Amino acid sequence: MIRLSNIHFSYKSGDFNLSIPDLRVEAGEKVGVVGPSGSGKTTLLNLVAGILTPEKGSVCINEMEINCQNDTTRRDFRITNIGFIFQDFGLLDYLDVKDNILHPYRITGALKLNNDVRDRADKLAIQMGIDDKLNRHPSALSHGERQRVAICRALLPGPKLVLADEATGNLDPKNKVHILELLFKNVDKHDATLLAVTHDQELLPYFDKVINFNDFLREETL
Amino acid sequence: MSIRSVLILFLFIFAMPLQGMAEKKITIYTVNYPLTYFAERIGGDLVNVVFPAPSNVDPAFWMPDKATIREYQKADLIILNGAGYEKWTKKVSLPMLRVVDTSKAFKDKLIHIETDVTHSHGPSGDHSHGGTAFTTWLDFSQAVQQAEAIYKAFSRKLPANTTDFSNNLESLKKDLLELDAQMTVMSTNKPGLSLVASHPIYQYMARRYNLNLKMVMWEPDADPGESEWKHLHELVNAHPAGWMIWEEEPLPKSVKRLQDMNIKSQVFSPCFSKPQKGNFLSVMQQNIENMGAILK
Amino acid sequence: MDSFYLAWRYLSYTKVKTFILVGCITIIAVLPLTLEILLDESERQLTLRAESSPLLIGAKGSALDLVMNSLYFADEVPETIAMEALEQVMDTDLAAPIPLFVRFKARDFPIVGTSLDYFDFRNLQFAQGEKFVMLGQCVIGAKVARKLNLEPGDHIVSSPETLFNLAGVYPLKMKITGVLAPTHSADDLAVFVDIPTAWVIDGLGHGHQDVAKTTDNTVILKKEKNNVTANAKLMQYTEITEENIDSFHLHGDPAAFPLTAVLVVPYDEKSGTILQGRYLENETPYQIVQPKEVIDTLMANIFKIRNVLDAVIMLVGTATLLALVLVFSLSLRLREQEIEVIFKLGCSRATIAWLLGAEILIIVLISAVFCGGFMALVQYYDQELVRQLFI
Repeated sequence: MIRLSNIHFSYKSGDFNLSIPDLRVEAGEKVGVVGPSGSGKTTLLNLVAGILTPEKGSVCINEMEINCQNDTTRRDFRITNIGFIFQDFGLLDYLDVKDNILHPYRITGALKLNNDVRDRADKLAIQMGIDDKLNRHPSALSHGERQRVAICRALLPGPKLVLADEATGNLDPKNKVHILELLFKNVDKHDATLLAVTHDQELLPYFDKVINFNDFLREETL
Repeated sequence: MSIRSVLILFLFIFAMPLQGMAEKKITIYTVNYPLTYFAERIGGDLVNVVFPAPSNVDPAFWMPDKATIREYQKADLIILNGAGYEKWTKKVSLPMLRVVDTSKAFKDKLIHIETDVTHSHGPSGDHSHGGTAFTTWLDFSQAVQQAEAIYKAFSRKLPANTTDFSNNLESLKKDLLELDAQMTVMSTNKPGLSLVASHPIYQYMARRYNLNLKMVMWEPDADPGESEWKHLHELVNAHPAGWMIWEEEPLPKSVKRLQDMNIKSQVFSPCFSKPQKGNFLSVMQQNIENMGAILK
Repeated sequence: MDSFYLAWRYLSYTKVKTFILVGCITIIAVLPLTLEILLDESERQLTLRAESSPLLIGAKGSALDLVMNSLYFADEVPETIAMEALEQVMDTDLAAPIPLFVRFKARDFPIVGTSLDYFDFRNLQFAQGEKFVMLGQCVIGAKVARKLNLEPGDHIVSSPETLFNLAGVYPLKMKITGVLAPTHSADDLAVFVDIPTAWVIDGLGHGHQDVAKTTDNTVILKKEKNNVTANAKLMQYTEITEENIDSFHLHGDPAAFPLTAVLVVPYDEKSGTILQGRYLENETPYQIVQPKEVIDTLMANIFKIRNVLDAVIMLVGTATLLALVLVFSLSLRLREQEIEVIFKLGCSRATIAWLLGAEILIIVLISAVFCGGFMALVQYYDQELVRQLFI
């Protein structure tokens, strides 16, 4: 469960302020976040991930008040409990698909890379339909394939929370729905919670809940 | 005398020969017997003189084998006669700085022979006496100079023993000069007396002691053949010689036939190789005695 | 954490960039080191040799050429002098003269005509075989033996002085009697012959027998059943054998035969001084030089050049380093997004820095390996390089 209370956040430049009196996401929920550009959708994800720290208020994930932890704890928490999916995929060109999926394991001591992990990565790749592309580099993949790789990377450590920032923004309409379905399926399979920023109105019906930044912070239960 | 001084005396007495022994003998290789004799006389116990040519070969036409050449290369000094004597040295490599050319001092006075006739005797095969006359030591004054060259080389090699060498040289010189004096005196008895020699090896002797000597190309151990006898007949017609000088004892047959021509035989050995009896000096003394019979 | 794995992946993905970076670092490291090694080696070779060669007599002219040719067997051949020059020294009884006739080559190695005394003087030991015994034989230096894979009993053929000098002297096929132990001097790269053999190569001596037919396979380009195609190297050569040695002879007065120099070893200091005095007169066609003086002058000049080179290398090195820093910081800019992603995934800034550091470390390590390999090569071939570049 994610809970944000009395959050106030502003960037140092001072041209952006975000206040969130109260926001709850229940475990296992798939929540869409919509709103115009600059309304603070990505900032919300960064606050939840512990990348940004609010000036006031608290961000709790499963009882842990993440904004009160030190850097190391927050990073370790992030890499072990949160899966990130980016609009531009955030894949590393110099690594092949397999290494991209395993990438989180190579950059932190908090995750241990072993054969079990490798097996899981292979299975995940099969589920995502990219098992025949494991030795390719991202530049040789289509957008849809790249996002599947990114999803695999996000899900491999078994996160309890998946944060998706415009995960389907770079995809064509047919792919969008397909990828979203895949994401949902796998999030369900991992019993994870999904918080997905999107500006695509067509996709909103797929979510359990939508947080609309337009008339912040009005929750719409669908 | 205190015990201490006795000890010191003892040490002195025992250490002296030890000191002498510590200095290694130098090894000298030579190319003929006369030089071997000179080297032995001058070097005494300080040198080990080796003349490796077999005694039945004329060293002037000898060619050492490879192993012997290597021995020469390793020698401390290599005493050459010079005057083109040891022709084999032209084909082999010897350390220039350890080679002593004993006739270098009189190289301007060497006799060059025009004729170049090849003949054959002994195991060394065909050879020729063309080029430079090389029996330099039969002019005893030249022999003295050759001995001096040896002395000089020894002194350079073992400077500490120069005095020994010098004394030995003086003794040798005395003997050689005595021979020279005897020959000189003897030659004045019958100046211009016509003589023939069996082999062209007496050029320097003839020049030094004013001998009117014509040389043929005969071997003492072989009949020269009819053409040579005819040649001798022609020679003595123009050059009425009563004596023929041989390098070795000639065949009785040849002696007899010469006698029939009124030519008596006498030996003057150049002593190329080590004599079976005596040494260089005794052979030369015998030579001079023999010459005495001619020049009395 | 697999920082090195990721760094290696990155570097192998950006091969060209990595190659350029490695190349640049290797070059700026190798340049001054190579120069240092080569200059040290040249100094060592030149000075040691010069110090152990008391005096040289040669034709009047460039003292440097005379020293370089006589001590290091350099290509520049000085005017020849007559053998008589050696006799003159011998006659003074002040010094031991050793002849040198360094003019010809065999398979690119200088043929040094000298006497056996040279081996004693330089204290050259034999690794295999023995000194030459007969005319037409030779002893080869350690490196000649190694490079041409030769041993005692093999043959080596002298090269004609120029390719167009075919009408004159036939190359001489020489039998190798010995291989010298390495000395790390010019002697390792020389083919030693007795001075009369050198004169035979010079055409001053010859035999009366026919020149031999080649059995040297290196001159054959193509061999077919009925046809043998030879390359330009093919020409006839003379060989002195036990059968024909008796017919070999030198033409003319040996006192007039040529030498390039006489190495003079005075019996003592005083003799050396007296001897030098004798060659000061104008009438003599010879000059006497002290190799050490000549080489000291040369070294002084080399050091001047060395300082200039050091400064230049320093400048170039600094410029290259700056360029490398630029390249690296530009590539960081390009990778900003990637760094951001890694950070968001949960990687600390320090780890990111360490990842980038690992890349630099790998580049430096590869450069160090290349540099080490190159330096080992330079060290291994320093004698030849010094010979080719400085001598």
